[in-house]
Amino acid sequence: MADQIVLRNVTKIFTTKTLGDITAVDNFNISVHEGECFSFLGPSGCGKSTTLRMIAGFEDLTAGEIELCGKLVSSSSKKLYIPPEERGLGMVFQAFAVWPHMTVFDNVAFPLAIKKVNKSEIKERVAQALKHTSLTGLEGVYPGELSGGQQQRIALARAIVTNPKVMLLDEPLSNLDPKLRETMRFEIKALQKKFGFTIIFVTHDQSEAMAISDRMMVCDMGKIMQIDTPENLYNHPNSRFVHNFLGESTFINVEVKGDKVYPKGSNQELKISIPKGVKGKMVVATRPNEIELTTSSEDGFRTHIEKRIFLTDRTEYLVPVGDQMVKIQTPHRIRFNAQDECYVKFIEPIWYPEDDEAAVAERNKRQLI
Amino acid sequence: MAEVKFENITATYGKKTVLKDFSLTVNSNEILCLVGPSGCGKTTLVRCLLGLMKPDSGSITVGDTVLFDAKKRINVPAEKRNIGIVFQDYAVWPHMTVLENVSYPLKKRRVPKEEIRERAMRALELVHMETYANHLPMQLSGGQQQRVAIARALVVDSEILVMDEPITNLDAKLREEMLLEIRMIQSRLKSTVLYITHDQQSALQLCDKMAIMELDGSLCQYGNDEDIILRPANRFTFEFIGVSNMIPVVLKNKKIHLDCGIDAALDVEVPADVDFSVKTDMGVRMNDVVFDAKSPVKAKVVSKVFLGSEYNYFIKLGDKEIRVQQSMLDAKLSGVPDDGAEVGIRFVNPRFYPAKKEVSGEAV
Amino acid sequence: MKLFNKTDNLAALDGRKRFSLDKALTITTFILLIIIVVIPVFMIIFNTFFEKATTGRWNFDLSLFKTQLSEEKNLSAMWNTVKIAVFTTIFGTIAGVFYAWLLGRSDIPAKGLMKALFNIPYMFPPFLGAMAWDMLLNGRGGYFNKFLMTTFGLETAPFNINSIWGIVFVEVSYYFPFVFMQVVAALEKMDPTLEECARIAGAKQSTVIWRITLPLTKPAISAGALLILTTSLAHFGVPSIIGYSQGIYTLPTRIYAVIYNAGGSFEGIREGAALSVLLVAVVSAALILQNKILSSGSYDIIKGKSTRPTLIKLRGAKYPLLIFCILTLVIIVVVPLVMIVLVSFLKAYGLPLKLENFSFIQYQRVFKGNATIQSIKNSLFASITAGVVCMLLGTLVAYVVQKIKPKNRGALEFMSMLPYAIPGTVLSIGVILAWQGSILGINLYNTIWIIIVAYLARYLSFSMKTSSAALLQVSSSLEEAARACGASHTESLADITLPLIRPAMVSGFFLIFLPAMREVTTSILLYGPKTRTLGVQIYGLRDAGMIPQAAALATVAIGIIIILNTVVNYIVKDRKGV
Repeated sequence: MADQIVLRNVTKIFTTKTLGDITAVDNFNISVHEGECFSFLGPSGCGKSTTLRMIAGFEDLTAGEIELCGKLVSSSSKKLYIPPEERGLGMVFQAFAVWPHMTVFDNVAFPLAIKKVNKSEIKERVAQALKHTSLTGLEGVYPGELSGGQQQRIALARAIVTNPKVMLLDEPLSNLDPKLRETMRFEIKALQKKFGFTIIFVTHDQSEAMAISDRMMVCDMGKIMQIDTPENLYNHPNSRFVHNFLGESTFINVEVKGDKVYPKGSNQELKISIPKGVKGKMVVATRPNEIELTTSSEDGFRTHIEKRIFLTDRTEYLVPVGDQMVKIQTPHRIRFNAQDECYVKFIEPIWYPEDDEAAVAERNKRQLI
Repeated sequence: MAEVKFENITATYGKKTVLKDFSLTVNSNEILCLVGPSGCGKTTLVRCLLGLMKPDSGSITVGDTVLFDAKKRINVPAEKRNIGIVFQDYAVWPHMTVLENVSYPLKKRRVPKEEIRERAMRALELVHMETYANHLPMQLSGGQQQRVAIARALVVDSEILVMDEPITNLDAKLREEMLLEIRMIQSRLKSTVLYITHDQQSALQLCDKMAIMELDGSLCQYGNDEDIILRPANRFTFEFIGVSNMIPVVLKNKKIHLDCGIDAALDVEVPADVDFSVKTDMGVRMNDVVFDAKSPVKAKVVSKVFLGSEYNYFIKLGDKEIRVQQSMLDAKLSGVPDDGAEVGIRFVNPRFYPAKKEVSGEAV
Repeated sequence: MKLFNKTDNLAALDGRKRFSLDKALTITTFILLIIIVVIPVFMIIFNTFFEKATTGRWNFDLSLFKTQLSEEKNLSAMWNTVKIAVFTTIFGTIAGVFYAWLLGRSDIPAKGLMKALFNIPYMFPPFLGAMAWDMLLNGRGGYFNKFLMTTFGLETAPFNINSIWGIVFVEVSYYFPFVFMQVVAALEKMDPTLEECARIAGAKQSTVIWRITLPLTKPAISAGALLILTTSLAHFGVPSIIGYSQGIYTLPTRIYAVIYNAGGSFEGIREGAALSVLLVAVVSAALILQNKILSSGSYDIIKGKSTRPTLIKLRGAKYPLLIFCILTLVIIVVVPLVMIVLVSFLKAYGLPLKLENFSFIQYQRVFKGNATIQSIKNSLFASITAGVVCMLLGTLVAYVVQKIKPKNRGALEFMSMLPYAIPGTVLSIGVILAWQGSILGINLYNTIWIIIVAYLARYLSFSMKTSSAALLQVSSSLEEAARACGASHTESLADITLPLIRPAMVSGFFLIFLPAMREVTTSILLYGPKTRTLGVQIYGLRDAGMIPQAAALATVAIGIIIILNTVVNYIVKDRKGV
């Protein structure tokens, strides 16, 4: 597979009046393969949207260069900048951005009309695009009369009508309600299968990213944290941030004394294997649905059920471990009552050092931008 | 704190009857979550309770106080009802500081000045907003504004606290936090809370009791979370709570058989109270479909999606596509089938309902 | 059991029907609107088409209307009015859109400052501008014309402001901000991704402007254009000052002439009323035409989150365009202002603008006797009174329409917006007809109150609009929360709603006070010997040929306006925190 989008040492620094220079994107190196669906995932202010806008050509680069389909499109050292209209991309925005003064047909036909494609061909290609997005029959309607989902389909149709090789999707599902979000996700995947374009998908919603991506990049505060497949990221996060960002996480403060682990505020040993070189105060990370809750005592940590909550697809138990309350999720068929004695067992937890306060302060500052 | 009783409430907007003979009791010191699709009349009920709208008939009592009774011609005006209310859009007054907002109900009740400050500060402490007393609402985040609204509702020791979609405008992470907070406050103050929402998930997380309303304004089930999840009263409740598969089945030789392009006998108990002479659907939640290689019921994996805490599958069962959710724990224990693989499946805790008139039972 | 046992019947306790306060407010609003708006409008129509026969009965009679229509002078006035209004609208719209785009979407430097400066022409009284341009470019001895003639040895004056085109030029200078402000606001609100999308689709920057940006701002453009059109159709000051000497009449100036020549007799007023109907017909036709043209493909103004729009790089054109902007401002603001101030210091009009000809004598003359002081007092009194009453009444109407929502609120809204479409001149005549004793024997003619009543009718829609917008922001749950907190309906109004819309009410006040201070169109028909307004006084001085004195008073008036504006900005800024 060829690399279709390549970012080399891409850096973007914004100068703000109140907070001085902010490095929004710090030395990004990414290569996205042809036909891949690649997500930029991170909290607001992490640099994901800025990166996308640099690829699209709406922002210039402070340093580095960007290559699209083997062609250099932005380079700070060569002072090269190809405007967005000449990059041959498809793009869909969060706020739909369909033109309210044009009919559905005119909206979708616009990219072709600009290219001076002849009328009969426009008609045919628009009809095709509308068919793929289930909009056939709405040609003469103005977008204002349509629902959010339909408007986003217009945006999709408009993006695919020129048959671009690269599709940039900037939080395209965030303005839709949850049910529609899922449907549209499937539709985007189906379109990709059909047309074979490469997708860059920007989102702050981790489950959406995991559901749609082949690979994804998690970034935070302008830095790339980790790039990998959804499963690897979820199961082997390289930092506490990535662990927490990819799904509900349970962090337990522990202290390693010799070859034994004790949860904070407890004298009972937590029986887990200690990786090499780990000692002192640490954080053990796992997820609420990867904790075993049993009545047997083998290797488990003895405690009791504090509270039980029934949810639609699982039961949640709050269980004290030391002086912390741990949330455990099980299928409905595993049943405990409140105050029952129980044993909890952590399966393959991950170890992290204790939290860094400087990082928290930096994040709070960024939220203000 | 007191219990709240709605009895035979009928309420209309113009010609449209929103509530008809609606009765409901909110137990003292409990959180009752009133859940229903939007437009089912939840908000109308709240407006009746607050005195912002007059029902056509019925009565509303809070503890010993009759707030409304059509027969006895009693209708206490809104400002005399002593009900704490938290709205979806916070409704924090932007021209008053946090402290002024929270003090307002006390001022209107002619509480002495020195007491006002003390009580208002105490209410703010309860929601961890005491350090923001002199801020204006626009300097606060949505979550903080909602805390102020809660403090304002709590400050006068109302007999009941009404919350109308209080967390709907907040983002996901904050919603979880607020739910916990509301629960903590309630357990500390032992308040009676009527919590209105269309979001069954948050209702389940919060409630002591839950009441489910149908779109026509009728009460379709009342019970605790366990009742609602494990013993849904009817098809509406079952489908409203969570994603479910509806699969046509028939009864043959005292066994339940699939009737969706394949015919396989199911290893489930035949319930006595279901009439199988009419067309029947079997309802199974997506996480109650379990992979089991030994099961005679075979299906084919169409696609799977990794969602972090679980895998979601589309599975072809005969001519139907059903959805299956596999938790990570199960995935680790029994493995993850590939796309196109044939799998054996088993149905846990199925429910049986008469089929809908049109072609139904399609995976939502 | 503790019972709130009341013997009242249930209906009286009903949450909806109980609020007698709401009902009282609704009825009051109706009555006030009928008195202030409906009666004057009705009187014009009635007097035009009905004549009092000797028997004392009113008969339907079209003859007056027919005579007016057949008169050559009136027809040419109508034609001029239309011509001026159409061209003013076209050029004003083009200028407004151009500058709005430049300041809203391009990377032209000093944007904030330029935006503020471009609002100045909006505050500048157009008839003072007309005076200044007449001084500069009068075909017979304008200062600039004279300068050009001596410098280049020309036989005739190169410019002649005293023409239709002159009037159009001056009106465009002061009316283009109507479009400018609307379009700048729309551009700021517009979601920039709408434009970015078009770039991605392959459109060049210039194509995006034509195909996307401009069509999307069409609602804002047309709203501003409509405002220019109706204002220009009804405007008195500029055509009167510039056109009079050349016999160029428009309908408003013609109405004034008719009434003035008749010496205030009832016949003259009736003739004026008939002409007014003609003017109203022209305005209505314009409104309908506009509606027809714009009705195709309607859509909402664009919502959007506030992302910073990508600014279009002007590159080489950046500084030339900046200079062009500054030049525009100099020509339409600085030059007239300087001219008026210079002339005000002249010992006599026509003397060369040299230091030895300057003195303060004109100021002494103007303030000798008490006519000037009286006019300033009159204007202050009338504007403040009208401002306060309008603010209260406008808020009342807005509250009834937005919050109480009575069944016939459409009628209320229509009544309050009606004067918006009716030219000031016409309203004045209606007010004269209504309040010179024909209703309940109340005669306000020659008192300051008749001017105030006219101001009320004319400016009510301004304050009603601002209050309406503010009330829409106050969600009903805010009031309901107060009720649940133990406040009665009246208390929740006083504690919550009113404080929340107070800033809007204050700006509504100034929106009326400022234009009323410099106003001449309405009061020119209504003033009496002791009730001259500032505008009328300046107009009168100039009309009597005392141009330097008029300039001196104009300088004073501009000074007052600048001071007031500064005060307003200070107050409004102060309240932003609320």
